[in-house]
Amino acid sequence: MKKTAKFAFLATTLGTSLLLLTGCSTSQKSSTSSQTKTLNVTMGLSEDEWKVMRQDILPDFEKQSGIKVNAIQMESTDVQKKLEASAGANKNQIDVIAQDLNTTAKLVNEGLMRDLTADRKIIPAATYAKQKSIGVFGGKTYFLPYRPNVEINYYNQTKFKEYNLQPPKNWDELLNVAKTFQDKEQLGRVGLKFDSSGAAIEIVEFIRSAGGDPLILNDKGSITAFTYLQKLWPYLSPDSQKGTFSTTNTFLAKDEVYYMPNWPFATNIIVGDGGRKDILADAGFAGPKGEVKTLGGEVLGITKSTTKTKEALTFIKYMESKAVQKKLLEKNGWPSFREDVTGAITGWQKPYYQATDQALKVAEPLPNVLYWADETAILNDVLQEICVQRKEIKPTLDKYAQQLKALQNEAK
Amino acid sequence: MTKKAWRKFGFILLVTAISSLMVVPVYLLFKISISRPDEVLTQHPTFFVHHFDFSHWHDVLVSGNLWAPLRKSLIVATGTMIFATIIVAPASYAISRLDRKVKLAYIGSLFFTKMFPTVGIALPIAVTFTKLNLVDSDVGLILAHLINELPFMAWILLSTFSAIPKALEEAAMVDGATRMQTLRKIVFPVATQGIAVAALYVWLNSWNKFTFALYLSLTTQTLPLEVYYYVQRGSFFETAAYSTILAIPVIFITFILQRYLKSEYLSGTVK
Amino acid sequence: MKWFKKYHLELLLVLPMTFYILGFTLLPLIRTIILGFQNRYTGKFSLSTYQALFARPDFLKSISNTFVIALLSLSIQIVIAFIIALVLKQRFHGRSIIRAIVLMPMGIPTIVSGIIALYVFGTSGYFNELLFKLHLITKPINWLTGNFKGLLIIALADMWKVLPTLVLLLLAGLDSISQDIYEAAELDGANSWQSFRFITLPLLKPTITMAVLLRAVDVFRIFELPQVLVGKSVPFVSTFAYEEYDIGDLNGSGAASTILLLMILVFAILWLKFVDRGGSFGNDS
Repeated sequence: MKKTAKFAFLATTLGTSLLLLTGCSTSQKSSTSSQTKTLNVTMGLSEDEWKVMRQDILPDFEKQSGIKVNAIQMESTDVQKKLEASAGANKNQIDVIAQDLNTTAKLVNEGLMRDLTADRKIIPAATYAKQKSIGVFGGKTYFLPYRPNVEINYYNQTKFKEYNLQPPKNWDELLNVAKTFQDKEQLGRVGLKFDSSGAAIEIVEFIRSAGGDPLILNDKGSITAFTYLQKLWPYLSPDSQKGTFSTTNTFLAKDEVYYMPNWPFATNIIVGDGGRKDILADAGFAGPKGEVKTLGGEVLGITKSTTKTKEALTFIKYMESKAVQKKLLEKNGWPSFREDVTGAITGWQKPYYQATDQALKVAEPLPNVLYWADETAILNDVLQEICVQRKEIKPTLDKYAQQLKALQNEAK
Repeated sequence: MTKKAWRKFGFILLVTAISSLMVVPVYLLFKISISRPDEVLTQHPTFFVHHFDFSHWHDVLVSGNLWAPLRKSLIVATGTMIFATIIVAPASYAISRLDRKVKLAYIGSLFFTKMFPTVGIALPIAVTFTKLNLVDSDVGLILAHLINELPFMAWILLSTFSAIPKALEEAAMVDGATRMQTLRKIVFPVATQGIAVAALYVWLNSWNKFTFALYLSLTTQTLPLEVYYYVQRGSFFETAAYSTILAIPVIFITFILQRYLKSEYLSGTVK
Repeated sequence: MKWFKKYHLELLLVLPMTFYILGFTLLPLIRTIILGFQNRYTGKFSLSTYQALFARPDFLKSISNTFVIALLSLSIQIVIAFIIALVLKQRFHGRSIIRAIVLMPMGIPTIVSGIIALYVFGTSGYFNELLFKLHLITKPINWLTGNFKGLLIIALADMWKVLPTLVLLLLAGLDSISQDIYEAAELDGANSWQSFRFITLPLLKPTITMAVLLRAVDVFRIFELPQVLVGKSVPFVSTFAYEEYDIGDLNGSGAASTILLLMILVFAILWLKFVDRGGSFGNDS
C-alpha cells in the first residue's frame, strides 16, 4: 500500500510539473509574435544542406525584404498529408513548398496549389527551356523552377574490379553485369529502385529509352522495355523491391548491392559519412533508343490556402535569383536551372557532380498529367505481373493500357 | 550431476537465452552508434567494438535537434498517461459492474475501433485537430494520442476490474462504508497493479507514436519524428545514436518502475 | 428511470470516455467504411471499388499473407512470452534484473526496431555473419525476400518488439492465480506438468484471450515492419490500404481497410467461439 501511494504520488507530481512547464513555454511563445509577416516554407533537406540554407541563404532574404522565413523540414510525401489536413480544416499552415517535382501532380490534382499562371513572368529569362515548362498542368502553371536533380548510378569499384567488370553503358552490359554477379555470388547484386511507393521513375526511364510512351503503355517501345525487364529481373537483387532513396544508401554502403541508382544526396552519406571511397558514380546506361533519365529535384509552389501570396512570390523570386542559385551550387552542389549559373566544383565530390551534370543532360520530366499517381500504381502493377508473376507481356500491357485509357477519359 | 543440478543448469541456460534475445539487438544498435564506419559498412560486420568512435554521439548532442524534441516527447507521453488514467480507470470500473450484455457490447465496440488501420482514420482526425488550432501544441498531441490509448487502456483495465469480486465491495458496504469509500479504500488499491501496468504501456505507446505527431507538428518535433528524419536523410551512425537516445529513458523508467510492478497487492487482498 | 437511478454513478464515469471514442474513432471509421462502397468518381453507391481492388495483382495473395503472418506471429509470440513469463514467475537470484532486461525492447519505436532487424537480417547483416563464423554458410543468404522466409523474419522482428507487453500481461495473469490452488494440487499428488495443464492454463484463459485479441488487431494491421523489411515483395492488406491512400484514392483505401476489419472480426469470433468458449468476460458472478 505504501509503495502504491508513493508511486501514485511520484507520477502525479512529475506529470503536473511537466504540464506546468508546457503551459509556461507556450505562453512565452505566443508573446513574442510581432508585426512582421512570416512565411512558412517546407523543404526536405539533409543536415548539411540545412546549414547552408539557414546560414547563407535565408538571413539575406529576411534582411532585404523584412519578411521572416520559418523554414520547416518536411518530406514531400508528408507535405501532401499536411496540406490535405489544412485544406480539410480550412486553415493555413504552410505558404510555400519546395516540393519534389515527381509528386507535384498529386497536389495539383487535389486542388491544393495556387494557380501561378499570371506570375510566370518571374521565371528568369536565363532558365533552360526544359525547366520553363515544368510545373505546368493543363496549360496552367502551378510550380516554378528551383532545383533540377537527377539520379546517378552508384557502383562498387572494388567488386567491379574483382570480377573484371565495367559500369554498364547499355542494356546488354547491364544484363551481363547482373548475370556475372549472380553467377559468382549466387545472389543478385545489381539493384534498381522498384519500390512501389516511389513515383515509378526508373520504369519510365526504361520505357522511354526504348522509345516507348508510358501514357500509351502497349506501344512497341514499352513492349521492348518490359521484355527486357522480364529477362533482367531474375538477376536483380531482391532488395530492388524495397529500394527507396534512404534504404538504397544502406544497400550500397554495406556491400549488399554493387550497383544501384540513387539521388546525388547519397554521395555525402555513403562516401562522406560512411567513408566508402570505393563507391563511385556515373550517369547510367542507354537503352536501344538512347539514354533517358527522369528529371527530378524540387520546384517551388504556393499553397492555395495562403494569405501571403505577395510575400511568397517575393521569396520565390529571391530563391530563383542568380546569386542564390550560385551559392546553392557552390555550397550544396545543386545544379542550377539557370543557364547563366555555372560553377566549378572542387574536392572529392567533383566526379559525382560531373556524373549528375551529365545525367541532367538526358533528363526528361515525367509526363505532366494530373492522374500521374494512378499511373504510378498501374506501372507498378504491370511490373509486378510481368516480372514477379512472369505473365505474358503483350496481353498484360494491353489490359493495363485499357485501364489507363479509362483513367484518361475520367481525367477529361 | 544430480537431476536437480541438471535442472538448475537448464534453467540458467534458458534465462541466458532469453536475456540475449532481448539484449543483443539493443546492444547492436548501441554498438553501431559508437563504431568506426569500416566495422559496420562491410559484408562482415564485427560483433565487438574494436575502435571506439564517439563522434556521432557528439554530432547528435550538438545538433540542436535533441533537447526540444526530448522535452516535447516527455511532456506528451506523461500527459497522455495521466489523462488516460483519469478518464479510463473510473470508466472501466463502472463498465465492469454493468450488466453482462452491456459490458460485452462496450468491449466489442472498443475492440472494433482498434481493428481499423490508422491510415483510414488519421486524416479525418488530423482535420479535426487542425480545425481546433491544436497543431504544434502539446495538449493537441496529448488529446490525439488519447484516441488510441483510451480503448487500449480500457481493454486492459476492464479485465483487471472484472477480476475483483463484487463480494469484496458488498462486504465493505455491509460494514457501513459508503460507495465512494468502498471505491477508494477497497477497489482502487486492489486494482493498482493493473492500473500501473496499463499506465506504463500508455506512456510507452505515446512515446513511440509517430503518425499523429507527423500530422500535428509543424515547427515542433517529437523524438520519433526526429529519428524518422535521420532515417530518411541522415547517416547510418547518427540514426543509430538517435535511436539509442530514444531508448534510454524507457530502459531507465522500466528499470525503476518494475519495482512497483509487483503484484502482491492483488493476491493479498483477494484471499 | 429505475435503471438510470441504479447506474447513475456508472453512467457518469463512463460518459467522457464513450464520447471521446465515439467522436474521434467510431464516426470517422464508419465514414471511411461508407467511402469504400462509393464509386471514386461519381460518389454513387457501388461495388466498383472492391472490384478494382480484387483485380489488382497480388490482392488475394495479400489476404492469405495477412492470415499467415497473423497466425505465425501470434503462435510464436504467445508461446515464447509464456515461457518467459513462467521463468520470471520463479524466485531466483537476479530475477529483477532479468525482468528489466526483458522489458528493454518496449522503448524501441517500431521504425527503429525495423532498422535493427535490417541490421541483423540484411544480406550483410549480423545473422549471416554469425552463420558464416559458425561455418554454416559460405555465401550470404537473402533472408528478406517474398516467401515463407520473409514472413518468418517479419514475425520474429515483430515478436521481439512486443514480447515485453505480452510477458507483463501473462505475468499479471499468473500472479493473480492463488498459490493455495497449487499447494492443494500438490497435496493431491499432481506433478508440475499436470498443475500447468489443469490449473495454470484454464485459469489463465481470460488473460490469454485478451493477449491474443490485443495482439491480433496489431498483427493483422501490420504495415511498418514489412514496409521496411520486405517492401512490396510480400504484400499485406494494410499495404494496399496505405498505397491507395497514397495515390489519393480514399475509396480504395477505405475498401481495403474494411476488408481488413472483416478479417480481424472473423478471427476474433472464431477464437471466442472455438478456443475461448465463453471463458473470458463471462465471469460475471
